[in-house]
Amino acid sequence: MILKQSKPPDNQIQPNSDTRKKQLEAWCSLILNYHKHKKSYSIDVTEILNSQLCHNKEIDRKLSLDGLYTVLDELCRTGHLEWKDPKTKKQCLVMWRSPEEWGNLIYSWILSKSMTNTVCTFYELTNGEDSEGTEFHGLEKWLLLRAIKTLETQQKAEIMMFDDSEGVKFF
Amino acid sequence: MHRRGHGIGAINKKTLAQAKYKDKGTEIAADQLSQMAKQMEAFKGYLEDFASKHKDQIKKDPEFRVAFQEMCSTIGVDPLASSKGFWAEMLGVGDFYYELGVQVIEVCIATSHRNGGLIDIEELRSRLLASRGKKSQDISVDDLLRAIKKLKVLGNGFTVLPIGTTYLVQSIPGELSMDHTSVLQQAESNGFITKTELMSQLKWEDERASRALNFMVKEGLAWVDDQGKERQFWFPSFFPYLKSANNS
Repeated sequence: MILKQSKPPDNQIQPNSDTRKKQLEAWCSLILNYHKHKKSYSIDVTEILNSQLCHNKEIDRKLSLDGLYTVLDELCRTGHLEWKDPKTKKQCLVMWRSPEEWGNLIYSWILSKSMTNTVCTFYELTNGEDSEGTEFHGLEKWLLLRAIKTLETQQKAEIMMFDDSEGVKFF
Repeated sequence: MHRRGHGIGAINKKTLAQAKYKDKGTEIAADQLSQMAKQMEAFKGYLEDFASKHKDQIKKDPEFRVAFQEMCSTIGVDPLASSKGFWAEMLGVGDFYYELGVQVIEVCIATSHRNGGLIDIEELRSRLLASRGKKSQDISVDDLLRAIKKLKVLGNGFTVLPIGTTYLVQSIPGELSMDHTSVLQQAESNGFITKTELMSQLKWEDERASRALNFMVKEGLAWVDDQGKERQFWFPSFFPYLKSANNS
């Protein structure tokens, strides 16, 4: 629905710096919303370049590779994105919600379930039956780990290692 | 024989009569004038009565308001002239337009990041209606034009450009030249224009067309697209238009 409104010049990085700033803002929020909608936590550059996101067949316009990199770099700058390998820049991790926000979301869910002082495994948290329907259900492990680390610094949680899996205790 | 009417006496008599006619004439004229003044007074009185009686309707109904404005302007009353004047007190119209003016500024500033400070008047109206809420009075394009005209006192920041069948409201400081307005007029139907089109439609030389288009890009009014055959210059202010045209 957002894509439908796209106009030919949206797919080309604008020469005027003010206009470009607004354009990048729009692209950033488009990419974040798109991945939020799909509950996806990573971007493959080649894949996204050929997806409907960057290639609007209806108006026959494409965002070029350079254009895409400009947008992704902007997302990097705002802290929403990290390259898996900053040298090759082929794949990246995307955080449409920051680790702190995820942490708070998880923590308030734990509170609502009165699960403080109990230990959960990572798997339980993101793939267990209890968490079905929550926003963090299906959250990828790397992001979960970061979210819990933010809780750790606030002394609301502690990561525990078992033999074969990892768990977390909430306070 | 004694012929009458030829002596000095007769001449005196004639001048006397003429003077009397003249006196009578001024008397009648003065009479008419005072009659007229009385009538005008009465009319104004009725108009005032009318205004206070139909205050709500005047405030609510945009068509009624247009008609009332026209009537006022033909008898030389400007209801907007001062917010302290009788009309404003009676109707609150002065305040109405000032309030609307402020809201127009708000909408223009809020959308300028997207359209570079040019907004279609219909889009402006629908945004205003949305932000004013359903309960408030309806507003017409005429109301908007009036409100924007009132903003002139703040400098030439706000201008209305007639483009084809509609109006664009320009909220960027600085003025668009005739050339830039022509570019907008040409781009209205498609939302974009190319330099070649501009040159053939307006019989402009390359230099003139380039300069006008580059200015509009520089001012953030136009976006460029190089993926067609020729560079296209798009005007976001026409986008809401195109969208509705495509859907219907």
